[in-house]
Amino acid sequence: MDISTQIILFSVDLFALFAVYLVIDIGLNIQQGVTGIPNFGILFAVAGGAYITAGLSTRLAIIILGIQTNLNPISDNVSVLQLVNPILHAQPILAVSLFVLFLVIGGAAGAIMGLIASAPAVRLREDYLAITLLAFGEILNVIGAGYTPLVGGPPGVDLPDVLAWAGQYRFYAGSLVLLIVAIAIYVLAGHIIKTPFGRTLRAIRDNEIVARALGKNITRYRTSSIMIGSLFCGIAGSLWALYSGAITPTLARFDWTFLPWLMILIGGMGSNRGTLVGTAIVVTLNKLITYFKYAFVGIVPFNIIWLNYLLLGVMTILILIYRPEGIVRETLPTTKRTTGNNVSKPG
Amino acid sequence: MGNLQVKGVKKAFGNLRALDGTTLNVDEKTVTILIGPNGSGKTTLLNVITGFLKPDEGKVLFDQSDITGRSPQEIYEIGIARTFQIPAMFSKLTTLENLLVAAKNHPGESLTKSLVKRLWAKYEKDTIEKASKILDLLGMSEQLDKPASLLSGGQMKLVEIGRALMSDANLYLLDEPVSGVNPTLAHEIFGRILNLREQYGITFLIIEHRLDIALKYVDYVNAMVSGKLIAAGHPKDVINDPRVIEAYLGA
Repeated sequence: MDISTQIILFSVDLFALFAVYLVIDIGLNIQQGVTGIPNFGILFAVAGGAYITAGLSTRLAIIILGIQTNLNPISDNVSVLQLVNPILHAQPILAVSLFVLFLVIGGAAGAIMGLIASAPAVRLREDYLAITLLAFGEILNVIGAGYTPLVGGPPGVDLPDVLAWAGQYRFYAGSLVLLIVAIAIYVLAGHIIKTPFGRTLRAIRDNEIVARALGKNITRYRTSSIMIGSLFCGIAGSLWALYSGAITPTLARFDWTFLPWLMILIGGMGSNRGTLVGTAIVVTLNKLITYFKYAFVGIVPFNIIWLNYLLLGVMTILILIYRPEGIVRETLPTTKRTTGNNVSKPG
Repeated sequence: MGNLQVKGVKKAFGNLRALDGTTLNVDEKTVTILIGPNGSGKTTLLNVITGFLKPDEGKVLFDQSDITGRSPQEIYEIGIARTFQIPAMFSKLTTLENLLVAAKNHPGESLTKSLVKRLWAKYEKDTIEKASKILDLLGMSEQLDKPASLLSGGQMKLVEIGRALMSDANLYLLDEPVSGVNPTLAHEIFGRILNLREQYGITFLIIEHRLDIALKYVDYVNAMVSGKLIAAGHPKDVINDPRVIEAYLGA
């Protein structure tokens, strides 16, 4: 492979990863940055979206496409998909509709996971809340590995190729579609933060007691925040599963909890734009480190697989010491004045 | 509207009896001040009335209906607004936004409705107009777009009052509204309180230590010591009451 092809492949893959992480980080930022809920359990919603999408997608595909077969969609997964994928390849509109349906399912799964986690959680104080949610994050990997009908147990399961219609450009189409979804969610989140609803979330974050005195139902707002944040995380899980084409019940805490936290920390918590910047920086760095680290084998005095953890860990410490508010500060005023000095338009 | 009756309220924290059978009456459309030495239970009483603390015994009546033990949210809906002794800002929100949050029943505060701007744009515009007027009244127009964390202590006090005024409540409970505010402004604030009472028939119960300023403006004074009301009546009578002098004025 010549160098330009390598750069293109690297970037296209990077864009897909960036899109998935952006959606997760927006979901995390709404909870932690905007509402002040330290959700260390976003893995619960991400894995929920990914595993439920993986578990249901092949089953739904054979029903919707009307395929008659005695094969089991999970245990005979590969054979079933050999019947499904040619149809998706031939019918782009059907494939895209399925893609959207799976995202909705992933989002709904994430939101439900969020609600389940939040039921005990919103009543707890910040530190206990964080511990509880952290524990929740691990539950689905245990279930996924032990209960084979979900994602086929430890070996995992393949998903219908909803991007098959793009043929030889599937790789590029995948990244493009993911980016479009991510940008749409970015715009939506930006809108939500600026509405009176978002303003109340920020008020609760800044001072819960005063918000209560001003008649706000704190539990309801926190639940809404967790639900919408988890909805986005679920969609991200779904995107990841569909893009990868296969899922095993091993979504790791480092990748899907620590990295998103690092991203919003670097970008600036509470700021939607900061989330975008932080995601871009960390996704790129992490991928560059992974790409180049094997050049350092034998030079660094430890196993090279630890290099990502080491460098990103150092980065976290430096950010916390030198710029704890992140790169992009929350912009004010969010609510623009519309009254006063109104000049009436001529005509 | 705005009549408040506290009947034999008791509240203990372990062995400490913060409220020991407190009874207090605030007539509607009056400005009543509550005085007492530090630790006499004034703020605890405010917390009990506004639902932040549940009383061990006793009753709180607002316009003859029992509101004992209701949640802070319900109390606010009923029409009682409060401020805090130590100014507590939504620090990353602007001064204006601090007031906007206090708006009652804002349709844009519901997650689903917030997605469609058309459903709340009008209400938001009216709320901004109202908040701007209140800030104008408090002499805070210059600080409208400033983050609340950058305000001075006195200005924060004013935002506290402004936020409460957004509620259109019938009864306001103000916890030391002019402590840390310069004398000129303090007089102005009490002047405005009287105006609001005249214009809208609002009732005020105010905790305040700065009697030199407050006494001129208030209708009634209630004095508390060790969780009990020891005197209530017109300012002159209460201030000259020997028990009050002994406990509070320390003459």
